[in-house]
Amino acid sequence: MKSIHKLIIVISITVGASVTSCQKLNIPPTNIFTPDVIYGSEAGVKSFLATIYQNLPIEDFKYRPDQGFKTGSNDWENFYNSAGVTGEEVGPWGGVDIAGGFGYWPYGDIRNVNILISELPKHVATLTQPTVNALLGEAHFLRAYYYFGLAKRYGGVPLIKEPQDPAAPLSTLQVHRNKEQETWDFIGSELDLGYQMMPETSDAGRANKYAAIALKSRIMLYAACIAKYGSVNFVDGPARSAGLVGIPADQATKYFQAAYDAAKALEGHYSLYNANSDKVQNYVDLFLKSGSPENIFIKQYSIANQTAHSWDATMSPRYMTANALSRSYPTLDLVQLWGNLQVTNDDGTPKRFDNRADLMQGLEPRLLATVYFPGTTLRGLTFDMQRGIYPSFSGTAAAEVAKQPNSRSYILAGDTKTLYQGKQVIGFTGPWTGGDELTRTGFYVRKYVDYNKPQAAVDLNRSEQPWIDLRYGEILLNRAEAAIELGNPTDALSSINQLRTRAGATLYSSIDLTKVRNERRMELAFENQYYWDLKRWRTADVVLDRAHFKGLMPYYVFNENKFIFLAEPELFNREYTFQKQFYYEGIPGGEIGKNPNLLPNNPNY
Amino acid sequence: MKKLISNFLVVAAILTISACTKIDNYDGPNASFQGNIISSAGGNLQTSSGSTQIKLQQIGWTTPQTIPSKFDGTFEDTKLFKSAYKVVPTGGAFWPVTDTIVVNIAQGTKHDFTVTPYIIIKNFTTSLSGTTLTLKYTITAPIAAGLPTIKDTQPYVNTTKLVGAGASIRDFSDVNAVTINKNFTDMSDADKSITLTVPNLLPGRTFFVRVGVRLSDSFNSSNFSEIVQIDVPK
Repeated sequence: MKSIHKLIIVISITVGASVTSCQKLNIPPTNIFTPDVIYGSEAGVKSFLATIYQNLPIEDFKYRPDQGFKTGSNDWENFYNSAGVTGEEVGPWGGVDIAGGFGYWPYGDIRNVNILISELPKHVATLTQPTVNALLGEAHFLRAYYYFGLAKRYGGVPLIKEPQDPAAPLSTLQVHRNKEQETWDFIGSELDLGYQMMPETSDAGRANKYAAIALKSRIMLYAACIAKYGSVNFVDGPARSAGLVGIPADQATKYFQAAYDAAKALEGHYSLYNANSDKVQNYVDLFLKSGSPENIFIKQYSIANQTAHSWDATMSPRYMTANALSRSYPTLDLVQLWGNLQVTNDDGTPKRFDNRADLMQGLEPRLLATVYFPGTTLRGLTFDMQRGIYPSFSGTAAAEVAKQPNSRSYILAGDTKTLYQGKQVIGFTGPWTGGDELTRTGFYVRKYVDYNKPQAAVDLNRSEQPWIDLRYGEILLNRAEAAIELGNPTDALSSINQLRTRAGATLYSSIDLTKVRNERRMELAFENQYYWDLKRWRTADVVLDRAHFKGLMPYYVFNENKFIFLAEPELFNREYTFQKQFYYEGIPGGEIGKNPNLLPNNPNY
Repeated sequence: MKKLISNFLVVAAILTISACTKIDNYDGPNASFQGNIISSAGGNLQTSSGSTQIKLQQIGWTTPQTIPSKFDGTFEDTKLFKSAYKVVPTGGAFWPVTDTIVVNIAQGTKHDFTVTPYIIIKNFTTSLSGTTLTLKYTITAPIAAGLPTIKDTQPYVNTTKLVGAGASIRDFSDVNAVTINKNFTDMSDADKSITLTVPNLLPGRTFFVRVGVRLSDSFNSSNFSEIVQIDVPK
């Protein structure tokens, strides 16, 4: 009986509520923003822009080349970087695992920009003409950036310049791919519009006119190299015959000139960071200090907005942080771009060091600011890399390394607690083979690591230092590369020597293409550029041809109380091979399913 | 009340059971396609893992699929959908086959492809002295003009009969590679007569050995010799 009472109560409440509800359906939707809200004020447009900026294909700390651009609050595995497949570092990848990409296809974001471009001119009355022009310039820059993310992966893609009407006939929605050259030309012209229409200055994190011309110097180099080197080293197929991938070789000079002009346009407006007379500290601070005159376009992060990254917690060993682990380590191959380290005597025997830190004597400040060497300190703790102990050591380094592991007389250990006659066998910071959370190469990444953070604060999703997407250092490299390709070594030499002065390196008296490219590798190490450089130079299949990389293993020689360093294969000795078809990624299968006009797919896909 | 609930459950059960009675009336993937990749110089093309494959493009479908070639130059796939396919051999060290042919694949369909290899390895001999294996062979090219640059040549050594690129012991194989980086037409007769050595084989073990010549074509692919068995005495 009681339950019937309850039932009656429930029914009467339900009926009562239903009858009084739904008085009016004819009200504006409260959960979406209508165009008049967005375009009614600059603040409204800014909120729309925020989404477009957030999704920009900026290959920052959080970018995972096999999964995509990360905007979540817990994308902490920052060691999955492209440096880990190119030999700048060895990382968690088992090989060149990133060449297939992740099916990037940002036409949703491009549609947002297209809507912005078509709507803005209608709102001159509320926004004023100068504001509309500046915002339009910004929109053209953003559209170029998205298409750049596509072009460097796929070559030619459909150029959608206006918002498509979803109700339009299918035949007009299924757009064919444009030629690769048309795609790069379009990106270039968009950046020209951005350069003409945007103001000289902007809020941090937003683009100004110089960001547009700076990006142009980068993308014109891509186009030029594809024309010059892609016409020699290529995979044939229907997409190539149709011009969907590949640019005629005779176009190269034009693009190199455009890259050079764009880079030169920044002269006098930006400069290299040179605030500290200590060259090592200066180069470290370049990536950490705000307000640097070198920063052209940056991406910011915030703990409060849950967008912070985890660079500090994932580039240094757990020994020096509050949480997590590292998995990606600079190789000896990278370090030796600066010249061979003096670790062996003339007779081939390993040099004896009283102190591991002595290895750093006389090295270029930029190198020391890029990589943590054995013997440096971070947060009051020493990088005590030690692979093992030799009770005694005789003979040459080469002969020792050539031996089978079981016939070497060293003492190794599976953890940091193991002692040999009271002496710790491996360092707290590795190297070891038990896992990959301690260095496999004898080095750690220093670039971008915030040394001021107290150890307890170095946790996941707690790093806020901005990613510098475009900096004047790269512009000088772009200019030098374009200049040397155009046969103007004087200009190239002057650009490179500006960088070398800041780096604390000895200046060059002459220059060639190899020097320019190596300078680029040194200056831009770990900045997610080298993977694309290898691709545009069409050298990836040569450099990464069953490649193995090396580390520098410090050992303690017990009876001499000295340290030696042996150049050995990195501890996992992984192999890296880049197939020629990877110079372009395949158009994602799902997109071809929706739009068969995207065929023919890129060669060999 | 209880009865009401159980009635509801009965109705829900009936609805669930009676839903989705349509039967999938399409045929399963019961067609098969097999055959040989024949070298124009005679015999099957010698291949390795992850190189030569048959590319199938089902007519009216957008994404191609592939059948990898086995090491002896045969291929077989028994789980295909019956349909017309454009087929073409690709990925190996042979002159590109440009004209795709259309094959109606049904149960037991057989088809052989003939390809022209880039390089043919001839007079392949092996001799073992102690634990050092010496491999001698000469290379010829059915079509020399326009041949991709020859990158290198190397032995492939493994403990199983599956031996080739990607299936070999690195310390015996890749490290004994000899760089060539020449066009075939620029190579002298002496260059084309090659000797490789594999030192420090393990005594008392059986190895399977072949040699390969790698070219800088679209796939950086290799032509291979036949596989020989080497027993290293104790």
